[in-house]
Amino acid sequence: MASKIRVGLRPVKSIMVRFCPFESNVESTRKFLQCINRKKIQATNRNCEVTADVRHDGSEPLVHVMFADGERLIMKGANLTTVEMLTALGSRCNAKELKEEQKGKKNP
Amino acid sequence: CLLSAGWLPALHLVRHSSKAVTRHWKAMHFQRQKLMAVTEYLPPRPAVPPRCLPPRTDAPKEEDNGYARLLRRQVEEVFRDNRMIAVCQYNSMPDEDLMLMRHYLRKHNIEVKFVLNEIIRPVLSQSKYKNLLPLFVARNILLVSQETKAKEMLRVLKGVPQVNLLGACIDNTILSRQGVENFAKLPSLEASQGQTVGALALLPSQTSSLLQCGPAYLTALLDEHIRQLRAGDTGTPTAEPAPAQSSGAQ
Repeated sequence: MASKIRVGLRPVKSIMVRFCPFESNVESTRKFLQCINRKKIQATNRNCEVTADVRHDGSEPLVHVMFADGERLIMKGANLTTVEMLTALGSRCNAKELKEEQKGKKNP
Repeated sequence: CLLSAGWLPALHLVRHSSKAVTRHWKAMHFQRQKLMAVTEYLPPRPAVPPRCLPPRTDAPKEEDNGYARLLRRQVEEVFRDNRMIAVCQYNSMPDEDLMLMRHYLRKHNIEVKFVLNEIIRPVLSQSKYKNLLPLFVARNILLVSQETKAKEMLRVLKGVPQVNLLGACIDNTILSRQGVENFAKLPSLEASQGQTVGALALLPSQTSSLLQCGPAYLTALLDEHIRQLRAGDTGTPTAEPAPAQSSGAQ
């Protein structure tokens, strides 16, 4: 299911995934990281940096997305599923792309 | 003839509608409808609906699959034979990069093994590595080696962003990522052995000088005393036996 969701990463500048692998609530965050690193999604934006921050301080799993227009999306993955995180990111990316297309159409 | 006396067909042969098989939907003859209704299939209903019965637990299917057993044996061997086992998360990588990474790690005698969680979880839960269990979620690889070249491994992994080091078990000690980095910064075994030997040898090397310190001080004092006496009054007979007695007492 998580492999079917397409996310266009063009409006995204960088994604930082932080988790503590010895905790038990990191499964969805790790799967999210795995899905983002797939060829098709990476191919939509080669400049997007995906960093994984592996710690051992019992902190919550966190996904920090920086968009190109300065907006930030912080997802705390402790109680979220992979599909939810991917759809949230995907919907925001689509909305931004639509906005840019409209702007491009208005100002030729 | 079919319509001779004494024989009536079960179904009337209808002759006024043209054909039996039509392209449009044709209503069945009423008697046929009645026949179909009477002979309709009724599925058997159990006396007690199944959801009112206590839930029956199926016998747990034991996977005595030979292949699974072989993989489990291999995992146990890996944990027994290697001093350093690093667990990393594997995000999909292009094949050429994977081959290059394998090549560089091979140069340092580090092997890359792909593992399946369902195989490795039961093996770990029964061995002493229970604390490594939460690491095995999502796709993982193991980097195993007989030596503990943590610095080289970290250098290679830095060049590969798609593989994230989660933790390691070095010499039966479970380390986190930070622990592995600290371990890599430690001096080598030979250097630390040399440092320990030097520190231990420092004290014994001073024993002889410590023991000789007292008598040497006494001799120096007496020499100074003799010099003063000779410089002062020449040839006092009481001064000479005194140094002879004290040097004899030692």
